[in-house]
Amino acid sequence: MPERKSKRKRNALKALLFGGLSVALYAAVFANSSVVLAYTTRGAWFAALPITTAFVFSFVHGAFANYLWAALGIEPSKKPVETRVEEKRPEPRKRPRPRLHLNA
Amino acid sequence: MQEVVQQAGQFIDLNLTAVLFLFIVGFIGGLVSGFIGSGGAFVLTPGMMSLGVPATVAVASNMCHKFPKAMVGAYKRWRYGQVDLKLGLVMAASAILGVLVGIKIQEAILAAWGQAGSNLYVSVAFVVVLVVVGGYVFYDAWKISRYGGEMPVNENSLARRLQRINLPPMLNFKTAGIRISMWFTIPVGFATGMLAATIAVGGFIGVPGMIYFVGASGLVSSATELVIAFIMGFGGSIKWAINGMVDIRLTLLILAGSLLGVQLGAIGTTYVKDHMIKVVMGAIMLIVAVSRGLAIPQYLKELGLISLDQGAIATLMTASFITMCIGLAVGAIIILGSMWQARRREKYALKESYGQV
Repeated sequence: MPERKSKRKRNALKALLFGGLSVALYAAVFANSSVVLAYTTRGAWFAALPITTAFVFSFVHGAFANYLWAALGIEPSKKPVETRVEEKRPEPRKRPRPRLHLNA
Repeated sequence: MQEVVQQAGQFIDLNLTAVLFLFIVGFIGGLVSGFIGSGGAFVLTPGMMSLGVPATVAVASNMCHKFPKAMVGAYKRWRYGQVDLKLGLVMAASAILGVLVGIKIQEAILAAWGQAGSNLYVSVAFVVVLVVVGGYVFYDAWKISRYGGEMPVNENSLARRLQRINLPPMLNFKTAGIRISMWFTIPVGFATGMLAATIAVGGFIGVPGMIYFVGASGLVSSATELVIAFIMGFGGSIKWAINGMVDIRLTLLILAGSLLGVQLGAIGTTYVKDHMIKVVMGAIMLIVAVSRGLAIPQYLKELGLISLDQGAIATLMTASFITMCIGLAVGAIIILGSMWQARRREKYALKESYGQV
């Protein structure tokens, strides 16, 4: 139990760290939205800007979301996930190997 | 094209209502996507348009939020052992072909019958596909529910029969536990791409296709769909960004909610039984079909095929949008409800095993 609590605490700290980073990134974009919009909508090679921005935000904000749910105790189930619909087929019966008999 | 966009002043001023709307719909859409592999886009695009965002910017900004969301969702579900990467890549390759053909058909319809004709085609495709496929998915889910969520494998199902046909090249999909000819996966991927180009939600055909045609489980199909969504969304976003159509502010606001939602949805899949994917997908598809059905009279009027007063059209369009939001909300409620119930059951079982109950 104490181990679980300390794990939650660690997750909460990480959520705070990435949450702070995420807020800073959002504040940076929205405080300078006219400049950001002017560059990200230039098209051609500037297309890399919105794509990269989306990637960067997905890493930082995605990490925040991950640690937030973990800190709140919402974690995946411990039971193994059944991903196959196929049932185990019965083992084929072992048949005796064909042998050559010589009736001489 | 970019000059045209800027001249028309197409990048809206954001207010609190718009920010909240994008965050909340982003969260619910993300939750549904994380669970069934797609969803949210069908509400976000019309929702953004109702905020005053032009259609092209709405589609572009929505697309640009889709690929990072799908990437995070796919990664999460890959860690849970649900993603069949090979199946996703094979499907995505054929889906790209489907997108190209779908765009050509759209262009031909636009040239022949104009915008109203194109809208009518999209709505009719929405209704037909969603009623037929969604109806079957829901019926199947209902049938499985009657067996308590686990039904014996039907050896005569379409997927099983296709798997038995030895038509080289045969592909082995390890996570899905399937061996099937490449020639049977291509049509599913192609149809996914066609539908994505037509109604922007390819997953409505991709996931049922992988379940009933290829033979993967609901969990693997919905998780693998996220890989397809990432690849297609990434390609589409580059195309829109080159044209300067992405309003990154809208993209980031949707992402703020959807990255939270998609991870919660992915966690939810580890608690529920396989048929719950079908329940949620079928329910959403049928409700969205009703919503698109309500929008058809407007396009019929624009084409001069029926006469209806403007007040009635406006009411129908509002009802259509509200129904769409209800569809998404119903999906989210089923996901959260079943997840909560399963978590409670698991905790109870754990306590019981420790002899605390």
